[in-house]
Amino acid sequence: MYKEKITDKEGICLLTLFVMGSSLILGVGGSAKNDAWIAAIVGIIMFLPLMLIYSRIQALLPGRCLFEIINIAFGKIFGKIVAVLYIWYTFHLGALVMRNFGEFVDTVALPETLMVVTLLFLGVVCIYAVRMGIEVMARISTYFIPIVMFIIFVVYILSIPQYNFSNIKPILSEGFTTVLNAGFSVFSFPFAETFVFLGVFYTLKSKKSPYKVYFTGIMMAGIVIIFLTIRNIGILGSMLEYVNFPSHVAVSRVSVTEFLQRIEVSVAFVFVVCAFTKVSVCLYIACRGIGKLFNLNDYGSIVIQVGLLMTYFSFTVYDNIMEMMYFAYKVYNYYAFPFQVVIPVIMWLIIEVKVKKGIKV
Amino acid sequence: MVILVVLFYISLAVYEFVPLYKQKQWKDFWVNTVFWTVSFAMALLITLDVKVPSPAHPIRDAITSLFGE
Repeated sequence: MYKEKITDKEGICLLTLFVMGSSLILGVGGSAKNDAWIAAIVGIIMFLPLMLIYSRIQALLPGRCLFEIINIAFGKIFGKIVAVLYIWYTFHLGALVMRNFGEFVDTVALPETLMVVTLLFLGVVCIYAVRMGIEVMARISTYFIPIVMFIIFVVYILSIPQYNFSNIKPILSEGFTTVLNAGFSVFSFPFAETFVFLGVFYTLKSKKSPYKVYFTGIMMAGIVIIFLTIRNIGILGSMLEYVNFPSHVAVSRVSVTEFLQRIEVSVAFVFVVCAFTKVSVCLYIACRGIGKLFNLNDYGSIVIQVGLLMTYFSFTVYDNIMEMMYFAYKVYNYYAFPFQVVIPVIMWLIIEVKVKKGIKV
Repeated sequence: MVILVVLFYISLAVYEFVPLYKQKQWKDFWVNTVFWTVSFAMALLITLDVKVPSPAHPIRDAITSLFGE
């Protein structure tokens, strides 16, 4: 089978778009109110040690994908169980992101269209991208990231007149515990999800790059998220926790001399690109996992069915938007903790011991 | 709508299964068949407006019983 290769730059772009993914749509750290930006910083700092662990795993076993690493670490039978867990996690994650995007379109743009139509269109694009392979997805992300960054930058500059910096004050009024809690939510919602990227980074060309790629990607996305959170707080103030899509509402306030208005469509474009990248990466990893689990010749043949299933699943997973918000902010971080922290750390310890003892893996 | 779904899935089956059958990749063929069946069932249920149980509720109940609301 043809071995796919991506360069470091493509890896960084893919990771950045992935992290920005649904966190731009929903906003981060909403429970910390006007300290959400501190929560974002806390989340990044909490994630740094885990980032080292993730890149260490990949650096110890270069060229092995997530499911091969699981197999090496946990053995044949238990490894299959863990692999099934991760297939479920990526599948569920992709469906959740798809649903976030579907709710966004349903709420702000196409309220009378059935949501399943929106989801199906996104799903078909993702299926097509995944069938083309990871190289194509990585190259798409390198083409998109300048556009996305440009839009974010221009909108940021244009929204400066709307700022009210007294909204940031009082800093830490609710106590540091609230910020820590919100920081944990930030940690698990966009950042620690990048563990699934071990299923992509085995395609990196050079062996030493996982550290560099992880660090640069996380930092780029992290800085964007922090600045956008500050913007949202500056514009929306105490309204931040009552709106479902803070970035969208904040940008819709922008008005430059009553001539340049309603530029939130540009933000919607950013959402589309980010959601597309995130869903297609999740779909790719889920399909590869299923392919590895059943020893298929090529994961490409099951992409259509798994992608369609993901779309249907995202349609049926929640009944309404309030349920989605509750799940994303209150439940998700506990639900994802084993997948993001517990299993990776165990895996890292086992692999470290195995490599040190010189057991052939 | 049901007819559309059935037609769509038949065309998908032709598009996916025939090459696999000709290349005699039996493993891929059977895995694909299983996924095709499940996804077809889901599509039919959604078309017929049947409420499919979601795993989000049990997950939420389990987490809230462990860590509080």
